[in-house]
Amino acid sequence: MLIRSPKTWELPTAAVTPEALYRLTQRRDFLKTAGVGLAGAAFFRSAPLLSAATAGFPAKENPAFPAAKLKPTAEDYITSYNNFYEFGTGKDEPKVFANKGWKTDPWTIELAGLVNKPAKFDVNELVKKIGGIEERVYRFRCVEAWSMVIPWDGFPLAKLIALADPKPEAKFVKFTSFNDPNSAPGQRQANLDYPYVEGLRMDEAAHELAFMATGLYGKPLPNQNGAPIRLVTPWKYGFKNIKSVVKIEFTTTQPKNTWNIMQAGEYGFYANVNPKVDHPRWSQASERIIGGGLFSGSQATLMFNGYEKEVAPLYKGLDLVKNY
Amino acid sequence: MPLLEKLLRSKAVIWTLLVLPGLWPFWPLLVTRNPTTGADPLKFLLHHFGFVACVLLAVVLALTPLRVLWPQSKPALALNRHRRLVGVASFAYALLHLVAHVLHEGGTDPARVAAIFGTALGKPFQLVGLITFTILLVLTLTSPHAALRRLGGRRWKNLHRLAYLAAALAAYHQIYARKLFPVQVLWIFVPLALLEAARIIRQRAMAK
Ligand code: HEM
Repeated sequence: MLIRSPKTWELPTAAVTPEALYRLTQRRDFLKTAGVGLAGAAFFRSAPLLSAATAGFPAKENPAFPAAKLKPTAEDYITSYNNFYEFGTGKDEPKVFANKGWKTDPWTIELAGLVNKPAKFDVNELVKKIGGIEERVYRFRCVEAWSMVIPWDGFPLAKLIALADPKPEAKFVKFTSFNDPNSAPGQRQANLDYPYVEGLRMDEAAHELAFMATGLYGKPLPNQNGAPIRLVTPWKYGFKNIKSVVKIEFTTTQPKNTWNIMQAGEYGFYANVNPKVDHPRWSQASERIIGGGLFSGSQATLMFNGYEKEVAPLYKGLDLVKNY
Repeated sequence: MPLLEKLLRSKAVIWTLLVLPGLWPFWPLLVTRNPTTGADPLKFLLHHFGFVACVLLAVVLALTPLRVLWPQSKPALALNRHRRLVGVASFAYALLHLVAHVLHEGGTDPARVAAIFGTALGKPFQLVGLITFTILLVLTLTSPHAALRRLGGRRWKNLHRLAYLAAALAAYHQIYARKLFPVQVLWIFVPLALLEAARIIRQRAMAK
């Protein structure tokens, strides 16, 4: 975790925002004072889960993504505007109902299916075994045509796959979320089929962009954002990014995914962000920027949510209109 | 005159009741600064105005059955004096809903605003919204007395029966705007349907 050459998907440091510090780092004179920078890092990166990811912070700005181009969404919006139907269908409900006694610590996650090393881990042990966490700032695009920029903390999914050591016949990865109707009012109402399930093709799951997040804004994930561990696939619509994962299974057949089960005509397996393939009920050509206010909050949606260069090779020869 | 009837007869009271839902968004947006609302304020306004338009459409249609079912009720009669006003208010909120939708998806760029209407024509649920809106627009334009006189009572009445179609279409539009069935549609339209059913039964019985 020393200074390394930035990857194209890495967004600028400035994006790593405890907001006050973000503003400070925007000022060159402040950045030059390395000592102060380190003090700052120690100040906001002290949560125990994150100790592994503090080294090397603050990272250098990546010229491919000038800070002015991507503005991270305010933390308050990221944690107050959520789709987590387990806790209600309103955007404001997860923040309320996921924090009424639902326990996300301790949390066990299981690796199963066609693997050489099936195992169950406490999520904190898993993080240690993986070798700690890192920070990645990704765009987030919901199928409902809104978007955020989120500074995640976590580890690449590929590392977890390596840990499970899948057998050669494994072609897909299936993710299962928790099922606890006593704690989750949406599950009691059965507003969807629970537990929530998702899936990826093996090559998608192994892609360097695919990420397991355990935190955001330098702190452990709030319950409403899918504590304690969730999937992040930034080139896909938000609903692929299954929250509060309890089981990861390796399979030969394509796993079912919850929204596809609910409404196959509207939500596919792939769910790649694609401005040219509309949702049957609304356009996907543009998106609302969360926090953009009344008059400046809309922008064109990018192919694969701006990660085209990285992930387009995964889908060579695939009809993206049919496989929405 | 009892107080309730007096209040319900008053234009000022009804105006206030009709304007208040339009002011309500200021509360979460500006006063309590609710972050869920502030995250996408136009979406909030879009939903809110659409909801109020539906409620008022259901209310205005409920006024006739109220009068038929309770012909002696003074409050029902008092309310029926304001049918035109409530109907026009429903249109006004639908217009606000449309403005919010246009700003939400297209901002203020004319080319993108034009594209929005193209999109609306291609999406059944939005097309239904557009038809609903057109009906409300026509009914609003023909709501003044002068229009009634020019059209003649019978034709005017037939034309204004389109309000029932508008309500049915609005319910469809509201349901298909959501990923999952929105329960509030039932709160709005089930009472109306029950009142209408009761009215029809009552009128059949009286005709015999
Ligand atoms: C002029 C044409 C119209 C267009 C283009 C339009 C567009 C829309 C859109 C895009 C949504 C969904 C917003 C979302 O993504 O959640 C929506 C929802 C809605 N619209 Fe319309 N609409 C129109 C007319 C109307 C009319 C005339 C009414 C009522 C009389 C109405 C009532 C509603 C309601 C109640 C909702 C649901 C809000 C919610 O889910 O809470 N709309 N409309």
